[in-house]
Amino acid sequence: MLNRLRAYIRGVTLRNRIAEELDDEVAFHLQQEIDANVGRGMTPAEAARRARADLGGVAQITESVRELRALPLAKLARDLKYACRSLRAAPGFTMVAVIVLTLGIGSATAVYSLVDGIVLRGLPFRDAGRLVAVGELNFKDPAAFDSRLVAPQNFIDWQARQSVFSGMAAIGYAGVHLRAEGDREPEILRAQAVTSEFFTVLGASPVLGRTFTRENEVAAGARVAVISHGLWQRRFGGAPSVIGQQLPGQLADFEILGVMPASFAYPVGALEPTDVWLPSVFEAEDRVRANSFGYRLQVIARLKDRVSLTQAQAQMDQITAALAAETPRWFTDRRATVEPLQDAVTRPVRRWMLMLLAAVAFVLLIACANLATLMLARVHARGRELVIRSALGASRWDLVRVVLVEGLVLSFAGAALGAFAAWAAVDAVRPLLPAEVPRLGAVAVNLRVLSAAALAAVACALVFTAVPALQFAGRAAGAPAARLLRGNAALPGPRWVRGVFVTVEVALAVVLLVGSGLFVASFARVATVDLGIDPTSVLSVRVRPPVGTCPNQRCTSWEVAQQRNRGLLQEVLDRARATPGVESAAMMHGGLPLRGDLQTIDFGIPGRTLPRGQDLDYNAITPDYFRVLHVPLLRGRSFTDEDRAGSEPVAIINEAAAQRFFPGEDPIGKTISFQGVRRIVGVVGSIRHDGPEANWRRQGFMPFHQSTAVGGTLVVRLSREPGAVLPAIKAAIWSQFPGLGLPDVETLERYRSQLIAERRFNMLAIGLLGMLGIAIACTGIYGVIGYLVTQRTQEIGVRMALGAMPAMILRSVLGHAAVCVLLGLGVGLMGAWLVSTLIAGFLFEIGPHNPIVYAAVAVLLVATGLLAAAVPARRASRVDPLTALRLE
Amino acid sequence: MPRTDLLQGTLDLLLLRVLSTGPNHGWGIANRIRQMSADGLAASQGSLYPALHRLELRGDVRSEMTASENNRRARVYTITRAGRKRLESEQRSWERFALSMRRVLDHE
Repeated sequence: MLNRLRAYIRGVTLRNRIAEELDDEVAFHLQQEIDANVGRGMTPAEAARRARADLGGVAQITESVRELRALPLAKLARDLKYACRSLRAAPGFTMVAVIVLTLGIGSATAVYSLVDGIVLRGLPFRDAGRLVAVGELNFKDPAAFDSRLVAPQNFIDWQARQSVFSGMAAIGYAGVHLRAEGDREPEILRAQAVTSEFFTVLGASPVLGRTFTRENEVAAGARVAVISHGLWQRRFGGAPSVIGQQLPGQLADFEILGVMPASFAYPVGALEPTDVWLPSVFEAEDRVRANSFGYRLQVIARLKDRVSLTQAQAQMDQITAALAAETPRWFTDRRATVEPLQDAVTRPVRRWMLMLLAAVAFVLLIACANLATLMLARVHARGRELVIRSALGASRWDLVRVVLVEGLVLSFAGAALGAFAAWAAVDAVRPLLPAEVPRLGAVAVNLRVLSAAALAAVACALVFTAVPALQFAGRAAGAPAARLLRGNAALPGPRWVRGVFVTVEVALAVVLLVGSGLFVASFARVATVDLGIDPTSVLSVRVRPPVGTCPNQRCTSWEVAQQRNRGLLQEVLDRARATPGVESAAMMHGGLPLRGDLQTIDFGIPGRTLPRGQDLDYNAITPDYFRVLHVPLLRGRSFTDEDRAGSEPVAIINEAAAQRFFPGEDPIGKTISFQGVRRIVGVVGSIRHDGPEANWRRQGFMPFHQSTAVGGTLVVRLSREPGAVLPAIKAAIWSQFPGLGLPDVETLERYRSQLIAERRFNMLAIGLLGMLGIAIACTGIYGVIGYLVTQRTQEIGVRMALGAMPAMILRSVLGHAAVCVLLGLGVGLMGAWLVSTLIAGFLFEIGPHNPIVYAAVAVLLVATGLLAAAVPARRASRVDPLTALRLE
Repeated sequence: MPRTDLLQGTLDLLLLRVLSTGPNHGWGIANRIRQMSADGLAASQGSLYPALHRLELRGDVRSEMTASENNRRARVYTITRAGRKRLESEQRSWERFALSMRRVLDHE
């Protein structure tokens, strides 16, 4: 045994030397044989001839011994060397193949990095598989309230009654506005109000200090904060003395209890990570099950060991049923859901991301089909090499390997370039995605993505070399060696195989293009929807002075503070209006169109009983509001400066409200109850408040100074770039509210673009992938027809010599291409018809079977496909018969 | 006398048998096979060398470059202890095989 091991080791270590000495060994054999033959009486020449004949091919012997002795790695290295050499010898083919693969694998890598970062990657928490989100699902209208937020009452009772979770925590919104200090501008921190178990549920502990306890969950103990690593570095320079320092809030200071590690973030991977966590404090009304419902908490929990998701769901159902029995007004349309936290985080975008992945898979498949046609053509043109290789003793597997390794080399070259392109593209793509996409910050071309790209490269190589390799190896046996050796003759082989691949390419490209067309058409529709306002060049700044305090300690009561604030806001407005570059300006309180906020208040018509639940959007505005937004006044009058506090209470309603509540009547002069009884003085055009995809809302407006607003949003129409005017606007605000934090400074155009960001992204992404698809398919058509023409050059030459017209040749070549294109188009359109129903949910005001899109795709494809074929076809029609015949 | 083609797998056995009589080089081995079989067997010389190298990789023989009788460089193969063991076991199984073949063919 030991002996054998030693022999093996010796054999391995001696491999190289032995291989070198092999020639000597065989030469010695020959010499001995010749001597022996001479000894038998042959002439020296005869002796040498017989010796050689008896031994057989010297090259074959040495080659097979070397093969035997070669290390597997060395074999691979040699195969790679051959592949690279033969690819270098065909630069045109290599370049096209690498470009196609770069585009295919590159786009796949870029999209996969998105999908991986946003959806697939696990959450970065300890034992994240045990984390769940507990939510309330409105089962009567699941789509409308998909956020699954929880009412505080329910959270409190769930937490008290459950026994399946080791911990349960609620997360709510909080804003922390830091006062200006020294030369620092006031800063607004991204904050979350969390219950004390938040950190233990997520399995996170602070790097410095401590986190909250239950004692902090009452108002008296709540002025404490745990800060993020980022804020610690940014504001405190990473100093350890931060514990116990104060964060200067607008209303009061927060004592810093602890600092979380850099790796901790919640929500995970947000582009703008949370800066500070404050204790969540439940007010008295949060604990009583009265008739008002407020769903505002996200609830997370950690499953106890050995408790399954189903068991947890069962217990939550039980608890909810018990609560429903106790308070029948609750849970009429809601039930508790328990789902893995990862699912909850990724649910809103999962389908979308999978759709993108599917689209890019199409591109990759097209690239593979394309490469298969190119490889087939290449393999068939190498009949001579094939014959030589098999004459030299290459086995079937050797021949397969030749093609396979070439494919792998091409694939990896494409993957390397593609990964590089993806890495460059991801940073460009990220800002195009809507900001509310979860975990955008986690998107990166990292090791996981690179391994996926490598895997894709191997898979592609296997897919596109399979048929060519089998054909290459399979022809070896029956190849008419003599004819093949003679010249550039091609291997005999079915031509239709290549045609099939081109057809497949075209069909896939058609499906992708129909998808692109539908997304482009959807976006075009969304972008041109009449919003009822003109959002261009309108800047909005939310001015929200802290409630309950007044800037200079002169206020004596809430009422006075209100009036004083409104006076200050009017002053801000006057100063803003006087700023150069401001066309018109208004102050409003309520939900600003497109910003995503909304306030509705109870509404009634004196003397009429309206069905329950009629409400009207609340807007308190200064007179120029409609001018700023370009909302048309349809009837009556707009507000004026005479509509003050104390003057007659008036209101304006929009057309949608007028049609609903005063059908066929003139609403002017009618009275409504809308924060007090008011007389309607005007009717304005309706607004798509929630964006282009939303309906008109019923809206009411009242004069700003007749409202109870203590803050508002300054909206200004600009005649200059926002950046040029903004400093003056900020100065105007700070002149009245020194050191006030300004959280929402944004143009309405920007809000609008955020609302359609997903559609824009889809249009760009799928549109680009569609273009890629058709471009690759066209190179495929070009390549195959080009190859066909090369193969037929002699035949064409003969035909021309016999009097065929160039037009006939052109037609015959184009005819071949047309068959592939039309067949692919037919299959593709049918495929698109089926596949597009899957994306119907992503479309806007367009059916998945929109005939115009299908027709446009068909025209585009036939045109580009025939164009791609026309280039080589023209070459064919210009074949000079003499040159062609001389090739023979 | 017509030469018989070697049965698959018997070449290794022949090589080991020849080498069990003493170290030899490739040409010598081929000659010995011819001699010992009274010209009845001829190892295809093309497969001789790959087989020898395969045996060496397996540890059944070892080899050395030496100067031969007439001062030419030759690789000389020597059977190892493992090679002798393999020879024994393969010889036994060959005899069993040959016996069985004989019985079948002689069966009346």
